[in-house]
Amino acid sequence: MPYWYYDKKDLQSTPSFRDGISNETENRYRKEGARFIIDTGSKMDLGYNTVATGVVYFHRFYMFHSFKTFPRYITACCCLFLAGKVEETPKKCKDIIKVAKSLLTEHKFATFGDDPKEEVMTLERILLQTIKFDLQVEHPYGYLLKYAKCLKGDKGKLQKMVQMAWTFVNDSLCTTLCLQWEPEVIAVALMFLAGKLSKFEVMDWNGRVPRHNAWWDMFVEDITMELLEDICHQVLDLYSPQPQSSGSDSPPLQTPNKQPKNEKKPLCVTPPTSVSPVAVTTKPVVTPIKNGSEVKIEPPKMEPLRYSYPPYPGLYPPVYTAPPPTIPPPPRLPITSGPPPGLVYTEPPPAPAARFPPVNVPPPNYFPPLPGRGPPPPGPPPRPYYPPP
Amino acid sequence: MNMMGAGTSQSPPPMASITDVGALFQNAKKYEELNVIGTGAYGTVYKARDLHNGGQIVAMKKVKVALTEDGIPLSTLREIALLRQLEAYRHANIVRLLDVCHGGQLMERDQQLVLFLVFEHVDQDLESYLKKAPGPLSENRIRSMSYDILSGIDFLHSHRIVHRDLKPHNLLVTSTGRVKLADFGLAKTYDTEMKLTSVVVTLWYRPPEVLLGVSYNTAVDVWSAGCVLAQLHTRKPLLPGSSDSHQLSSIFRLIGRPSREEWPENASVMLDSFPAYKPMDLQEIIPRIHPHALEIIKGMLVFDPAKRLTALDCLEHPYFTEEPLP
Repeated sequence: MPYWYYDKKDLQSTPSFRDGISNETENRYRKEGARFIIDTGSKMDLGYNTVATGVVYFHRFYMFHSFKTFPRYITACCCLFLAGKVEETPKKCKDIIKVAKSLLTEHKFATFGDDPKEEVMTLERILLQTIKFDLQVEHPYGYLLKYAKCLKGDKGKLQKMVQMAWTFVNDSLCTTLCLQWEPEVIAVALMFLAGKLSKFEVMDWNGRVPRHNAWWDMFVEDITMELLEDICHQVLDLYSPQPQSSGSDSPPLQTPNKQPKNEKKPLCVTPPTSVSPVAVTTKPVVTPIKNGSEVKIEPPKMEPLRYSYPPYPGLYPPVYTAPPPTIPPPPRLPITSGPPPGLVYTEPPPAPAARFPPVNVPPPNYFPPLPGRGPPPPGPPPRPYYPPP
Repeated sequence: MNMMGAGTSQSPPPMASITDVGALFQNAKKYEELNVIGTGAYGTVYKARDLHNGGQIVAMKKVKVALTEDGIPLSTLREIALLRQLEAYRHANIVRLLDVCHGGQLMERDQQLVLFLVFEHVDQDLESYLKKAPGPLSENRIRSMSYDILSGIDFLHSHRIVHRDLKPHNLLVTSTGRVKLADFGLAKTYDTEMKLTSVVVTLWYRPPEVLLGVSYNTAVDVWSAGCVLAQLHTRKPLLPGSSDSHQLSSIFRLIGRPSREEWPENASVMLDSFPAYKPMDLQEIIPRIHPHALEIIKGMLVFDPAKRLTALDCLEHPYFTEEPLP
């Protein structure tokens, strides 16, 4: 069975990198491809699951191929096309291409070739072979809702927190987090982040036992504060101001000044904040406090973040809508008091059964089990928590 | 030439045309076909060597999939996704799925794709196992094999998979005597392909609802398993029919012709086309059978699918719970 998690060294030495594309450029290509899948999917009313599945295919694909060999926008179309079929929300290939054409510049659309549909068809087979027909992908959304159900506290605050975490999960698709961590871990980390930012502190939760220090100990074993912060940073880095790149197709980013001290973030593609017109840094937003697992958010650093995730209550919450760094950001939209977007149109997963370490959970209940079954079957073999060396 | 995102400071990247890249996969030959293990309605199974894994012997099933206007059919993708997902459970009574790949498109305009499902190779199937057996199987052996078969079926059913073609040939027997189910999961894909083949499929394990052309569900597998369980005792097929109608009359001769109320409305055959058989005593056909085993098999071979035992019912039967299995 294929294994889809990589350590940061692998993520730096990708086929594109070996093909002469810098990590920074590759990460931008990944981000643009992911965004494009999200935009195309949203425009076609595809659900968040289909969109997220498409993005995961996209990231996995480029662990085996170079962006030079396979232009990212047509690959993105193909990933969305395949995800549509797998998630049983199929869209016609020609319709996807039509929407893609409307979203792309003529120059970018030219990479689709003379017969875009035929290209996507051919690419579908290459994609399937590349992702080894491992089509069913799990996402953090379901875990997010499942975990939220166990948390006690002010309902309104909890809802806001879940909504914010949901948006972070959307945005995390633009990072390579899905190539690093299981969806359970990502869900925990981004709920942690949303909790900090929305000032919702989880004091108690259902199913609490004395040996648990934090609510997530119920679901995922051995999550360190260091890991949580690393994941949060990778998402927060998306909101860091960066050079505008929408004008030309793929101008290589200026090599950002390295921050040698920050070894935890080799993936960071954001330029130093000093060159940024929006002179607020989001790093370090989360700073560990000595002698404890408590983490504090530095209050002033929250501002740029808020501009970057418009918490629209729409069907598919728009994510990371290319914050315009050169233009002063629009006034922040208030967080609506309605239910979180995920709750609006999703069937919340069944309440979790006591302690259920996610590394051992069975594949998603894509088909709900037949009624009146006995105990659930044993889970799949535990995956190594950390990617193998 | 199309340029992919070439920036100002980057020279135009050498972009391979996507259509050339198909060749990429032809080179990466992973499996060496050794010989044909079996040819069925759904494709051919080869014994093959996994060249990337120390020459491990595998069973490779070749399935031809007709491409539609929108590429690989949704049903095929769904089924493969499900098979992959099931594999994560590593159920002891399900054959391991090791890999899925395809052979590329043979010709430019060839509207079909050859899929390879790569399974673990198990030397023996139940058919040959029963043929080779020097005498009757021991009571414990029969019970343990019955349990394995039903566990595998229950697992599939709990994931909403109907095998639909259970028979001794698809039940693999490992060197330690465990039974594993094989050849399930691509039912919809097979259905489409079936129309294009004329291979004769064995009827002996078919339930009446399938033979009558009415809708069916997981209960079909329980019927088939009932026929197989009986065969474990006698080492002979229970209902060796030679045609659809002959199979049906064999069934009714054994379990009795169903009543008019039980006969499905939209059945493709009339009830009156069969003699008014009375049910036979199964014990006469399987002498010396354990009374519990007899009860289970009787419960599995019930005409009305809704009244048939489920695989889980069977597993909870005293036959399996009263005495410990070896």
